[in-house]
Amino acid sequence: MRDTILEILQDIRSDIDFESETELVDGGLLTSLDIVAIVSELNDEFDVDISPDDLLPENFNSVDAMVELISGM
Amino acid sequence: MTFTSFPFLVFVAVVVVAYYAFPKKARWVVLLVGSYAFYLISSADTLVFLLATTVVTFFAGLFLGKVNDETKLYIEEHKAELDRSAKKELKAKAKKRKRGVVAVALIIDFGILAVLKYFSVYLAALSDVIGFTFEAGILIPLGISFYTFQSAAYIIDLYREKYAPDTNIAKFALFTSFFPQIIQGPIPRHDHLAHQLYEGHDLKYENLCHGAQLMLWGFFKKLVIADRCAILVASVFDSYTEYSGWAVAVALIFYSIVIYADFSGGVDIARGVARLMGIDMPHNFRRPYFADSLSEFWRRWHMSLSFWTRDYIFFPISLSKFFGKLGKNLRGILGDRVGKLFPVIVAQMATFTIIGLWHGADLKYVLYGWYNGLIIVGSLLLEPYFEIWAKKLRVNIESKGWHVFKVVRTFLIVSLGRAFPRAASAGVAFSMMGSLFAVTSVEPFRATVSSFGLGMGDYVVIALACIVWFIVSFIAEREENRAKAAHADKKKGIVSGRAQGEGDAETGAEVRNLIDKLSLPVRWALYLGLFLAVLLLGVYGPGYSASTFIYRGF
Repeated sequence: MRDTILEILQDIRSDIDFESETELVDGGLLTSLDIVAIVSELNDEFDVDISPDDLLPENFNSVDAMVELISGM
Repeated sequence: MTFTSFPFLVFVAVVVVAYYAFPKKARWVVLLVGSYAFYLISSADTLVFLLATTVVTFFAGLFLGKVNDETKLYIEEHKAELDRSAKKELKAKAKKRKRGVVAVALIIDFGILAVLKYFSVYLAALSDVIGFTFEAGILIPLGISFYTFQSAAYIIDLYREKYAPDTNIAKFALFTSFFPQIIQGPIPRHDHLAHQLYEGHDLKYENLCHGAQLMLWGFFKKLVIADRCAILVASVFDSYTEYSGWAVAVALIFYSIVIYADFSGGVDIARGVARLMGIDMPHNFRRPYFADSLSEFWRRWHMSLSFWTRDYIFFPISLSKFFGKLGKNLRGILGDRVGKLFPVIVAQMATFTIIGLWHGADLKYVLYGWYNGLIIVGSLLLEPYFEIWAKKLRVNIESKGWHVFKVVRTFLIVSLGRAFPRAASAGVAFSMMGSLFAVTSVEPFRATVSSFGLGMGDYVVIALACIVWFIVSFIAEREENRAKAAHADKKKGIVSGRAQGEGDAETGAEVRNLIDKLSLPVRWALYLGLFLAVLLLGVYGPGYSASTFIYRGF
């Protein structure tokens, strides 16, 4: 799952090093447009339902946080 | 009581002394008493509305917290019996229970705002009919837009289980009324500000020093720059029919300076006052005129409002199933790309409608929002074509020159759009924008300049002050970029010399840190210079009373 998420992220923003970054949201690296694109891709890919209520920075600050969010759904 | 009045400084001094004189545990009470005293002095007739919003929001919060706790406890206790779908169902049920209370609380909070701010004209007419007169707009409570949005964020965050609610109504009353922020924000979030207000802070030289620095810097921007440039802006906007072409352009650019210096100056003073007591309020600006696109500008301007609309308007709409499905169905008509972007476009326009309406109910404010929204949506849709054009025209999009061009272009787009909120009406704004491009005769330069109402000395002061402001902003921007680069390097495992010193990418903090490193005489010469500049070059009315802040009216 982690690799698929990485691929999705890289597709949307090729200029960010997602492998090591842990402050994607708090560090202001992702714009709101990026987040919308990421969430809709993740929803489609993993057949989950990430809602605005799940859009806490801690859920999107790193790849591992996203893995954890989706695993818990 | 405005921030730039002498009584306000005395008031702040009294509150700060009392804050540190009381034992740590009771310091929040000093802030509460101070905040309500400030409200009573400034806007006593409307205190009841602040109280109503506070009480409604507090009890709604208690209920939401109770449902959150009950659900969590039940799931915890029945962990073994509940599978994933059962847990999901329980959570959905809890949400349903919460929804009614959220709706009622939001309707009451925004209802008060809407009736007082947006329908006061009708209220005045109605009161005339029943033989009771009050002037339209007079009943608008101080800071109503700010504390209403802040309260709404609290309710929605609790619905989303982001944190636990306040259980002490007196403490919560402090959160909604904290006096430095009530006039013009920033709009704080409960999880960032509340605990700082409730816990007592130790007296630290650093906080007093940085707080006073921020306040002084705010006074400088407001009194030396904003209030001086505002004279020219008022001259042109008040007699707009007499001006066209470059004179209107100058007024629009000056207004961009005025609104930024006025608003950010006010927020600096607010943040400085809070800092005196060890309280760190959120930033509201990150050098917005260094933005290289309009959407970037809105991430740097009035950030607490931009982030509010992002979290509570933009995300819910752009991620809603309804608009997602609608976009999919429309792909046949609009094409794949536009269909995919459809929810984002709707969300973007809704966001800017709210940002427009936030300033007031007039058409000109809505048009101001749409002007920004349409340009951002347009550039989003045209993005692939821009790339093709740039390649065809052989523009090096990585070059410094191109970046500077984009920054200047963004500033001009922003300045043009500001004709809407500043002009007396939407019609006046359109007519001024038209006259900007329709120069019928060559304006007599000298006569026009003298009609602006500023003397040669004023232009020199404005130029010098803006240069100082630009240098400070430039240093802050450079230091922030360096800190970010160092942070990225560190993540990649390259611990460079700079990376070890990074950590505080806070806006403006770098400049303060640089000042801290200067030797004592240089530092105090700087403070004294700035203080004298404010005192001698500030624009004051009779009796050293300065004009009020623009955002106080929103």
